[in-house]
Order: sequence, then C-alpha cells, then structure tokens
Amino acid sequence: MRRIYVCLASVLFVSTAHAAVTPDIPVLVPVTGFLANEGTSQRNGAVLALQNPPAGVQPHFSVTDTGTSPEGAVNALERALSNGDVTAVVASMLGTQMLAMLPVALEQKVPLITVSGTADITRKGNPYVFRFFPADSVVKGAQVRFAIDTYHIKKPALLAQTTAYGQSGQAEILKALSAAGLSPIYQDSLDVSVKDMQPVLAKVRAAGADSLLLQMHAGPTALLLKAAAAMNLGLPIVASSGLAQPSTAALLEPAELKGVCAESGSSPTSAETPAMQDFLNRYRQAFKIDPDGFSIGQYDATMMMLNIVAHGATDAAAVTKALSSQTYPGLAMTYHSDGHGNMAHSAVIICFDGTSRTPAVAKHYDFPD
Amino acid sequence: MLLFSLLLQVAALGAAYSLLALGFVLVLNATGAVNFSQGDLVMAGGFVAVVLGNALHVSGLVLLPLLLLFMAALGALIALVAYMPLRGRPPEAVFISTIAVGIILQNGANHLFGAEPVAAPAIMGAGHMRLAGVEVSVQTVAIILVAALLILGLHSVFKYTQFGRRLLATAQDREMAMAVGIPVNAMIVGTFATGAALAGAAGLLLGNVFFVTPTAGSDYVLKAYVAVVIGGWGNLPGAVAGGLLIAAFDVVYPSLPLMLPPLAALPWAEAMFSQTFSAIMLDIVALLILVVRPQGLFGEAISQRP
Repeated sequence: MRRIYVCLASVLFVSTAHAAVTPDIPVLVPVTGFLANEGTSQRNGAVLALQNPPAGVQPHFSVTDTGTSPEGAVNALERALSNGDVTAVVASMLGTQMLAMLPVALEQKVPLITVSGTADITRKGNPYVFRFFPADSVVKGAQVRFAIDTYHIKKPALLAQTTAYGQSGQAEILKALSAAGLSPIYQDSLDVSVKDMQPVLAKVRAAGADSLLLQMHAGPTALLLKAAAAMNLGLPIVASSGLAQPSTAALLEPAELKGVCAESGSSPTSAETPAMQDFLNRYRQAFKIDPDGFSIGQYDATMMMLNIVAHGATDAAAVTKALSSQTYPGLAMTYHSDGHGNMAHSAVIICFDGTSRTPAVAKHYDFPD
Repeated sequence: MLLFSLLLQVAALGAAYSLLALGFVLVLNATGAVNFSQGDLVMAGGFVAVVLGNALHVSGLVLLPLLLLFMAALGALIALVAYMPLRGRPPEAVFISTIAVGIILQNGANHLFGAEPVAAPAIMGAGHMRLAGVEVSVQTVAIILVAALLILGLHSVFKYTQFGRRLLATAQDREMAMAVGIPVNAMIVGTFATGAALAGAAGLLLGNVFFVTPTAGSDYVLKAYVAVVIGGWGNLPGAVAGGLLIAAFDVVYPSLPLMLPPLAALPWAEAMFSQTFSAIMLDIVALLILVVRPQGLFGEAISQRP
C-alpha cells in the first residue's frame, strides 16, 4: 500500500513538474531607427529574463521591431494580441509609441511593461501601464540635488536637446532648480544635428556659469564632453542618463570624462552587488556588449512579471492586479507602483574618475511617493 | 583668437559638407535626379573607415585611398541597381529608388554594426597643435587639408584627364554628351562612383570627431540639399560655397554675441543667437535666396528642380 502511495506521489510530482505555466509575452521594441541603440538594450534585458525564467514558467515570446512610428507600434501590438491570450507585453520605450499603444491596452485589458521615461504615459489614468524606469521627475531631481549638494552650485548653465526627451527633462530640471531657489544663468536648446559644440560652450563660459547641467541624448553628450575637454571648460558637469550608456563613454578618452557625473536609473557596469555582477556577466556572455540602465530596468520588469506568473497569476487580469499591488526587490532597486504605474522611485549618480570608462556610483537617491 | 578658432571650425565642417554636396551635384547633373542616398553614403563611408581602421590599425590618411575605392565600387553598384533600370522613367522613380537605397544602407549598417555610435579613425592622429597662437585640434587641420586636396584632385581630374572631361561633360549636359559620342551610361556609373567616393571621404573626415551612427545620413542629405539650393542647383563651385555657408551658420552665427558684445544687449539676444535659431536663420536665408535669386548664388547649371 505504501509503495502505491509513493508511486502516486511520484506521478503527481512528475506531472506537476511538466505542467509548467506557459505565458505568452510578446516583446515589442524599437530595434531600428533613431532609438535602435536604447531599444536594443531594452530588448536584450527582456530576452535575458525570458530565457532565464523562474522555475515552473516557460514563457512563449517573440521579438517584434516597432521601428519608431506610433502606427508601427500599434500594428505590432494588435498583431500580437490577435494571437490569443497574451499575459503581458514588453512595450516600446519610445514615449510616442507608448501613448499610441495605451488605448489598445486599455481596450484589450493587457498590461504593458516598459522602461519609457516619458512622463505622460503614467498620467493618462490607464491602469495597464507599468514603468520600470525612474520618471524624469526622479532622475532630474537627483541630478539637481547632487549638483547642489556636491558642487554648491549657484549659477548653473542648462543645455537640453530640442526633442521631447530634452524638453520634458529640461522642464523637470527647471522645476527642481526653482524648488532650490535657483535658476540657470544661461540655457539653450540644441537640435540633435548640431555638430560643433564650441560656440554654445563658449557662451556658457562667457555667461559666468559655475556648473553645467545637461539633458541630452548619448551622441550629442559625447560631442559636448569632447569639446568641453578640448577647450578646458573647467566646470563641474552633471549629465543626463545618455552618458550612463557604456557605448557613450566608449566614444571618449578617459581623460575627457574626468570628473564628469551623470544621473541614471542604475549603473549595471558598476556592479555594486554580487547579484548585479552576476547579471553583468550573463548579459556580456549573451550579447557581447555591456548592459545599461534600460537593459537592467527591463530585465527587472520582466522578472517581476514572470515571478508573478510563477506564483499563480496566469492571466492578464491577475498579472495587472499583482503588478499594481506587489513590491519586488529587483537588481537595480525595489519596485512598487505609486498607483499610476510608476514602479521605479530611485536614481543613482555615477561619476568618472578619469582613469577608465567605467563609472562608480557616487550617490543613491530615493524619492518615495 | 576666438574668431580664428571659429573660422577653422567653419573651414573644417564646411569642407566636409562641400565634399558631400559636390557628390550630390555630380549625380544630380548627370542624371537629372536627386540622389537621396547621398547622406547615407556618408554614414556608410564612416562605417567602412571604422572597419578598415580596426582591421589595419593605420591612420585615416592611409585608409583614404582604400576607402575611396570601396565607396566608388558601392556607388557604381547603386548606379547599376537603382538608377540604370529606371533611367527612362520620370525623375520621381529615381528619387524613390535612391530613398530605398538609403533605407537599405541604414538598416544594413544597423544590422552589421549595431545602433551604437562609433568613432572613425583620426586622419593623422589625436591631440592639439598651435596655429597662429591658437590651440587647434590636429583633426580639424587634417580635415581641412584632406578635403582641400580632394577638391583640388577632383578639379584636376575634370580639367586634365579625358575621363574627367567626359564625366564633367556628362554632368553638365547629358544629351549633348551623348550627341558627341561620349559613353554616357558608363559616365553616369562613373559619376555615381565619384559621388559615393566623395561622400565616403566626408564620412571618414566627420566620423572621428562627430561619430558614426546608422541614422546619421538623414541630417547630411538635408545639408547637401540646402547647400545646393543656396549655391545654385547643379553648380559645382556653388555646392562648395553652400557647404561653407551652412558650416558658418552652424558655428559662427551662435557665437556672434561673443564676437560683437553689443549684440548680447539686444532684447531676446539669448534666443536670437541660440543654436536652434541659427538653424532657423539658415532656412530663412535659403528661402530668401529662392525668392530673390532662384538660380542660387552661383547660378543654376540645370533648370529642373524637384
């Protein structure tokens, strides 16, 4: 009799082990076009998580390139949703694409997990969007606070890009400066096609600025830092997260990076913890490049969702509910929703010491709700 | 000091833009159609320079002949695939096919090299040198010298070689060239090859300081288009002048309040002399030229304008 019980238990165990949950998770990200660099980081983070799911979960996933047009993203989402029961969608980091996808997600009641920084996506009252990258208000708050705490700035200059990214970040920087009783002594907006940064830096110098705050994309940030080093600008520079991407630092000599700091959601190449070091090793092995803040943000987002599935939430409604209410200790930070889908509330400041292109984390900032 | 330093920057940027615009005009004149892939050929040249630099570990100057040959072959291929089958069709067909070539180049580069910006090898090495008491980067001086040599070389080919004279004749008046027995089709392929080689050289010159990304081409083709509108549709010296003028707006216009301090006291001076406004001013100037002198500063070489 005892032998029969053991056999039955074995059969049950084996069948349970084989009956892994198989959530359908499309990955819809921009891997071509002007955001291909960042979009590839997002894709890689999601894919690394989906290829290493928690026990009992075997996700079905495929990666679709959304390009950079809103209609491309909406078409990709509608195609993915037409395939049947989708548990959650890894959705584009491009704000304009996210804004176009939100109504579809609302109609189909499917959660979108993303690392888009565009503030508006979580201001639409849509309960199906979850952002795992700190919003502009968080990272810009950290950028300004660090500049004030560390450099005691009084007359900052502010250079931003003319794009939506540049302008929304610029507004948050101005808000944070204003809260501290400061305003820029000089500010300018630069088109992404501007090649020569010397004129604008000469004006920063002539204005008598004591520091330089940047809200610029990766390539222009590198151009500006190169020009600043060439003309010995000599001002403390706190850049935006474009500089935290390893590919941006790779464009510059270590000496050109000396003393420059930047805000970011996280800095995986700094590998502050053993878990982060393990992620760094696995990422490098899988993709032969270094991860950035978008990769680790999307990895954490996808892992949180997969853990939720592993704990029994197998459909879109249950996953949405769990994402809205649970706290998840990710690699980069601890995530929880503020009620609007903003999951990330921490930022780091990284700085370069001039001897290598790998930054060190200089300071952590938490912005609780 | 500041003026000299800025003028050097204008010369360097303008020289590279001029190479780009020259290639654009050559193809325009020979075929009557705008080659919208010209900007992406600059990007392609930048990536070819990166690959050759990584493989051979030599300076950009040593790479240049190899790069020119490779890009000329690419240009000839584009002529054979994207122009020749459509040469009897309206110019719009060629616009579309060259746009398609640009998209293929852009996505091909994205696939082969990834989306991250990379730096092309320096022309003669990094570092700075003193010139007339001003510290300038070696790369800036090298860009000016190499671009000037290429423009002079192109001028010599056109003036002193049979091939060059035939190429120029085809570029100036295709139908007349055909009437006097010049093998126009071969010359058109040669024109595409020359245009691509010039774009590739611009890619090498710009790619070290300003980096190379798969999507960089769209900015460059706009600059070439504006340079040609300003200089004169189809006019070779006009293309060079247009390139220099664009660079002047990029570099000198935003610096005017530093050179002429009373300008800084003007109301709205900060906005009026911002980088963004300098781009607006350039467009206004281009529009004014179209209104006041539609043939451009140097006159039109051809009358068709899309």
